[in-house]
Amino acid sequence: MLGSVERDLAHRALDTARSRGASYADVRFVRRSVEDALVKNGHLDNVDRSEIFGFSVRTIADGAWGFAASPILTAAEADRVAALAVEVARASALTKLHDAQLAPVKPVTATYTTPIEIDPWAMRFEDRVQLLVDADAAMRHAQPSLRTTRASYEIWREEKLFVSSEGADIAQTLYETGASIAAESVGDGEQQIRTYPGSGGRSQNTAGWEYALKWDLAKHAPRIADEAVALLTAKQCPQDISTSVILSSNQLMLQCHESCGHPIELDRALGTEAAFAGTSFLTPDRLGSFRYGSQHVNIAIDSTRKGGLGTFGFDDEGVPASEGWAVKDGIFVGYLMSRETAAALGTVSNGTVRADGWSRLPLIRMTNVSVMPGTAGSLEDLIADTDDGIYMDTNRSWSIDDKRLNFQFGTQIGWEIKNGKRGAMLRNPTYTGITPEFWGSCDAVCSESEWVMWGTPNCGKGQPGQVGHTGHGAAPARFRDVHVGVVK
Amino acid sequence: MTDALFGERELRAICDKALKDCDGDQAEAVVVARNAALTRFANAAIHQNVVSREAELRVRVVRGTRVAMVTTDRLDDEGIRRAATDASELAKLTPENPTFGGLPGDRGLRPAPSAYVERTSWTTPLDRARAVKQLCDAARAASLSAAGYVSTSTQELAIANSLGVWAYAPATTSDAELAALGDAGSAFAQRVSPDFGTLDIAGVAAEAVGKAKAAQKPRDLAPGAREVILEPYAVRDIVTFLGSQLTGNAVEEGRSFVIGKLGQKITGDAITLVDDPFDPKCMPRAFDLEGQPSERLTLIERGVAKAVVYDSGTAYRTREKNTGHALPPNPFTPASPMHLRLEPGTKTREQLIRDTKKGVLVTRFWYTRWVHQLRTIVTGMTRDGTFAIVDGEIAYPVKNFRFTQSYHEALGGTIGVGSDLALLLAGEQFGLQVSAFRVPALHLASFNFTGATQY
Repeated sequence: MLGSVERDLAHRALDTARSRGASYADVRFVRRSVEDALVKNGHLDNVDRSEIFGFSVRTIADGAWGFAASPILTAAEADRVAALAVEVARASALTKLHDAQLAPVKPVTATYTTPIEIDPWAMRFEDRVQLLVDADAAMRHAQPSLRTTRASYEIWREEKLFVSSEGADIAQTLYETGASIAAESVGDGEQQIRTYPGSGGRSQNTAGWEYALKWDLAKHAPRIADEAVALLTAKQCPQDISTSVILSSNQLMLQCHESCGHPIELDRALGTEAAFAGTSFLTPDRLGSFRYGSQHVNIAIDSTRKGGLGTFGFDDEGVPASEGWAVKDGIFVGYLMSRETAAALGTVSNGTVRADGWSRLPLIRMTNVSVMPGTAGSLEDLIADTDDGIYMDTNRSWSIDDKRLNFQFGTQIGWEIKNGKRGAMLRNPTYTGITPEFWGSCDAVCSESEWVMWGTPNCGKGQPGQVGHTGHGAAPARFRDVHVGVVK
Repeated sequence: MTDALFGERELRAICDKALKDCDGDQAEAVVVARNAALTRFANAAIHQNVVSREAELRVRVVRGTRVAMVTTDRLDDEGIRRAATDASELAKLTPENPTFGGLPGDRGLRPAPSAYVERTSWTTPLDRARAVKQLCDAARAASLSAAGYVSTSTQELAIANSLGVWAYAPATTSDAELAALGDAGSAFAQRVSPDFGTLDIAGVAAEAVGKAKAAQKPRDLAPGAREVILEPYAVRDIVTFLGSQLTGNAVEEGRSFVIGKLGQKITGDAITLVDDPFDPKCMPRAFDLEGQPSERLTLIERGVAKAVVYDSGTAYRTREKNTGHALPPNPFTPASPMHLRLEPGTKTREQLIRDTKKGVLVTRFWYTRWVHQLRTIVTGMTRDGTFAIVDGEIAYPVKNFRFTQSYHEALGGTIGVGSDLALLLAGEQFGLQVSAFRVPALHLASFNFTGATQY
């Protein structure tokens, strides 16, 4: 955990910022250690270990925002960066329409560390890699014709110190672990992929190595390999039909990420992402009354839940982790907020601001935005309850408009459902819709036993670009009258 | 480090020290350094304004066919030594990789035009804020709101390896982007230049504001296959996706649309796509991210697939020639064309529109994703200025479409190519500005709009 050296530099930077005229300042130090490894086609193709360490100063001066960052950890650089952050803020004031306002937060002195069972950084490197070697070999043994196999992990440790001119002093150490396998097949003008446990990127959690072990990659590798090959000759998904669709847990989590998680970001709703990420159909006048989905749809915002990639002690504005609702019984009831956007709504922040490392400005990011379980039992129960439809599993393609209304998703694999039974395998499944209509057609969500906390370590937002790590719990769910099949 | 740059001498010293501290058969040291500033505005005021100094050293150590990489941003002697030592120790622990062919040697570099303009590196926060104010004022004068950014950056790239490779290039970029927004419609414009002094802020304002005024109150138009004029912002997307498949790695993995089709017609006759690292107007750089000389390659010539690009690793495995298009070592995109130019035609944008009896003008695409790589099928949305064209004129704004379209098949129906090329940037990759494009407007016979949204 970061300590006195960084704390002294942080206070020096705060003093400099204040002496230059900042009415508010905060300083963040971040040391991030990451190791990625990937076995491809039977060989360790990549091992990349990095440690980046730097700090940033965020200020309000003349009522406007400034930010500067550097990896040079000296007193002189702390002074330079703090002074530059104030200079930047004064330049921002050239276009100011009103003074920046922050919702209040109680400044605290606190620490937080991700609870983990197996520290991946304390293991032998060879033991971590062996997990990948075994899983990759199991795929290739099952299906030697596969064109490409991959097995990968990422381990992550981030030490953060947040010190503000309001008196906050918060040190945190966050751990993450992710792992995955992928099998790709090619033949007869087709190219197919299956991945496990999540889609293209890793599924990742705030956890230790126990998270990589939990998925038992080698055990599932033969099934993933078999499915990748079988997809080459599977039936094409029907085109331009309206039918019932059951989404797997890991597909529903991405549906939630794109069509709920992003539109409940209050910065989008207030227009501050208008040129890039876009705005939101969930405008403030709809808060508390807009029917987002059916009564089966309950979506939580919860940065306290164990394992989620949006789980921490405090956000990057020093606001404590919290629980709440985005959608309750189908009604839109809550945003992801920063201190500034919360002030615009006359409320307080629910602590959802995070930055990608030391060099980037903290932004509103999803914490853990999760579709909460329903009462439909297991996946097999839900399929048995469906006369006619398609079960779609694991994302392959995703796209949504800049207000988060019109979406189109593709999954890696699908199966027909006929008379309550899983039927033929389908390749290239796609479905499309309009967000509130789609969630409005949800008539069943599986029970707690099917609910999984997934993690997406690749959420893009911001200019300059930032990669966010977000958590999403989900269980399989059924949607009626969905437009299926775009690719011929 | 000065305010602007390390300079070649200092970066050479850092790389040399890293190589000296490595324990292995071969070693590589790469430094990426940037001073980056971005002034972002929305609701016609600056709301995010950032300046950062970033510098990273990546050390790759090879022992036999065992390879490991370590990255650090501690560039003092101790930080360099630690990165080199850690990479050396890690390389001892990694399994052998018989598909690794070793680091590439020194092949010499042709001089390329400079992409560095000194005065861009000295741009101040106030300079950027003034440019933003010019954009916001122009929008406000038309009763529109404004969002976007003005950015400047200075970057240095230095690459050395134990086989004698040394490559160094500084570069600057400046970039202005404006979305002009009304109550019921928006429009987008962007300009890029290595020289902030010539960045066309007035042009950005005039284009976005003028188009936004015409974009208000869009009408419904039924989806379907329609003739289109694509502005260069949309064409950039097509070139990006197709470029990502014109690589040796994509061919090796069986996901490229040109597999078995080199020498065959894959697009319309009007399409010639060149990767030209020496194009003085396309952020030139003579070498790739392994310090290898980058070749000028015609990838598609008058519709015929001619070549794909290679990095050293893929070239070794597939017994092809390394064309000098490596990205930093990574398992997913080891190589990429980085200076793509879609060769211009002879017609102005206005002539392309006049040639269209009935069609749709698209300003830019949004959230484009693969649906099927091998068939180059991509889905995405139109955004920030979509219009119906009737009898050769922009007739009225229309609500945004979703499309699901094979990009290379769309180019098979190229009717016309614009005469003006726009310089545009790709997003940052691996912590630096790697790629740039020069692309024209395109007139295509058919584009498959598969849905529409509500605005």
